[in-house]
Amino acid sequence: MAKKILVIDDDPIIVKYLVSLLNDNGYETCTADDGVRGYEVLKKEKPDLITLDLQMAEEWGTNFYRRISKNKEFKDIPVIVISGMAGRHLSIKNAVAYLPKPFDPDKLLGILKSTIG
Amino acid sequence: METGKKILLVDDEEGIRKVLGISLSDMGYDVVTAENGEEALSIFKEISPPIVLTDIKMPGMDGVTLLRTIKEVSPDTEVIMITGHGDMDLAIKSLKYEATDFVVKPINDDVLEIALKRAHERINMRQQIKDYTENLETMVKEQSARLIEVERLAAVGQAIEGLSSAIWNFAGGYEGGIQYFNEMPCLVAIHNSDLKIVATNQLYRERLGDRVGGDSCEIFGKKPSAHSECSVEKTFRTGKGQRSQEKIKYLSGEEVPVIVHTAPIRSKDNRVELVLEISADATEVKRLREELETTRQRHKQLFDEAPCYITVQDKNYNVTAANRRFKEDFGDDTVMKCFEIYKQRQTTCPSCPVEKTFKDGKSHQAEMVVTSKTGEQINVLIWTAPIKNATGEITQVMEMSTNITQIRKLEDHLSSLGLLIGSISHGIKGLLTGLDGGMYLVESGFSKENREQVKEGWDIVKLVVSRIRGMVLDILYYAKHRDLKWEQVNVLSFAEDVAFTIEPKIRIQNIKLIRKFDPSMGEFEVDPGIVRSALINILENAIDACTEDKSERPHKITFGVIQDKNHIIFDVYDNGTGMDKETRDNLFTLFFSSKGNKGTGLGLFISNRIIQQHGGVIKVDTAPGKGSHFRIMLPKFLSESLKSPHIDDENASADNL
Repeated sequence: MAKKILVIDDDPIIVKYLVSLLNDNGYETCTADDGVRGYEVLKKEKPDLITLDLQMAEEWGTNFYRRISKNKEFKDIPVIVISGMAGRHLSIKNAVAYLPKPFDPDKLLGILKSTIG
Repeated sequence: METGKKILLVDDEEGIRKVLGISLSDMGYDVVTAENGEEALSIFKEISPPIVLTDIKMPGMDGVTLLRTIKEVSPDTEVIMITGHGDMDLAIKSLKYEATDFVVKPINDDVLEIALKRAHERINMRQQIKDYTENLETMVKEQSARLIEVERLAAVGQAIEGLSSAIWNFAGGYEGGIQYFNEMPCLVAIHNSDLKIVATNQLYRERLGDRVGGDSCEIFGKKPSAHSECSVEKTFRTGKGQRSQEKIKYLSGEEVPVIVHTAPIRSKDNRVELVLEISADATEVKRLREELETTRQRHKQLFDEAPCYITVQDKNYNVTAANRRFKEDFGDDTVMKCFEIYKQRQTTCPSCPVEKTFKDGKSHQAEMVVTSKTGEQINVLIWTAPIKNATGEITQVMEMSTNITQIRKLEDHLSSLGLLIGSISHGIKGLLTGLDGGMYLVESGFSKENREQVKEGWDIVKLVVSRIRGMVLDILYYAKHRDLKWEQVNVLSFAEDVAFTIEPKIRIQNIKLIRKFDPSMGEFEVDPGIVRSALINILENAIDACTEDKSERPHKITFGVIQDKNHIIFDVYDNGTGMDKETRDNLFTLFFSSKGNKGTGLGLFISNRIIQQHGGVIKVDTAPGKGSHFRIMLPKFLSESLKSPHIDDENASADNL
């Protein structure tokens, strides 16, 4: 069964990019353009992995992360941070990886492969 | 008849009186007779004859007694005694009592004559001695006075001579000697015995010209032939220094009263070889005074024109002196405290450098923001220096403040540039990622032969590239501080041009553009290129607001231009989404960035700055769901300071500091 990835980013162009990229590589995708809606989609779609932007207009990704890590059901879903803010973020403790923007698509695919296959 | 020729004849015998009386008369005497001693005395008291001829033996007062009495009263009276043969003792006795002579009866005329002659001689001699003595006393008095005067002059003369000798010796020859005289604020000249000037000092030359070889008293308008009037001549002649008051005419034509002193300069053999003449000019003082005044004025100029604010404060922080620049920018109010004028405070500033200098007498620095009398904020760098009085006590402190507002503005500009770069870097990263996305879609579309995807990808690429271009241009614009390239522009045609440019972009979004231009407007002073960009940016923002609005209502943008007394006012109304308070507050800041369709938001920040650079302002009225109204007010006439060049970071010049 194909793995499902939840893409959370408030820039629609980047969302379109990631969706295209992931789809072309055999992943299913669902999207949200902020943390609140992301949480809704998470509950509904139950993805296998989440890509998370941090600096979003309405609510930062860190809030979303805090929410899911408190939730037994979701805290183990792997998260990849894709953000213009470079480097590890203290508030996102257990991310699988921290990718900068612009990111290297091959690197992303590699991490996906090794995380969820 | 001479009084000297009176004679008193005293004899008790009438016959003798008669005879002798005749004889005496024949001899030229004026005879007065008396019978006895008492009568003789009373006559004697009356007429004071110089000679008395008296019989010795007489009844009543005898001759000797008479003699003695007369001698008591008038010791100079010559008394001749007439004696008989038997009276020799008496005769000799009378000699003892200072009788002049005695004659023996019967009286021989010759004998009498001789006796009288002798008496006269004695009288004369006595007179002579008297005269001589009196004369002698007078002479002694005169001589004494003269002697004192001479001694006094000798002393003064010696002093001057001593001085001139000393100078002479010191200078070693008159040519060299004159050099030292150049220091003296008097006219100094040296004259030789031919009454010619042989050397003069510099001041002399300046005031009177080159007089060497000229006649000594020429400068006083005298000829040397008028010997008695020329001090120099007198000095040579008498060897004594002279003092006189003269009038000199300078080369400038000025007539000046001077006091002239001369002193002889003696050679080794004590002859007066040269005469030193020193003339002191009372008007020299006046000239010095004028020089002082000029210096004072120069000092004041320096004080006023120095390129900083200078004030002097006393211990109570009252401003006791201020230079012109300070008065211009901060007001000329009499006695105010420095913190009142500079900072509108009631107490001293916390880190007051003036206070520190009063305490330790050293210079101190501080940087502060002060307010000018027009309300303008000025950054200043302050230096303080102590001012001490004669006893070394610090009575005042001088404060020099340099206007560094321009530097600080530049600093702010540069630091906000850094801030800008930091804040937009996130946006740039997003754009670049978006570009990657577009390109990916194109590539994978090609490989999958999916034309739709290729088109989609290409559209994304074009969109993002144009945004990147906009951002880069905005950064470049912001980084360079430019002068306003201002012109006189017709308002209507300017507004029409803007409307014309934006119209296609509005139409294509199915938005209606409404123009509302007041036809009565004339011209305004503006940099048309950048203001045009600003207005277009704001209009584009209005377009975005409309397209973002998901409600179904028809969208329109109204672009209006009106005027008030001093401003041209552009209005942009849209009925798009409107903004909440937080967005509205951050509208013109660097942090107002939005992704998606709105671009980087840098445009609004820059647009605001452009309007502010003109001295104008943008007001925004907005509410979510109600649309927005941007009001751009620009002054009709630019202020002078805006028209003159700013500091350009490429060619900064110190003139503007």
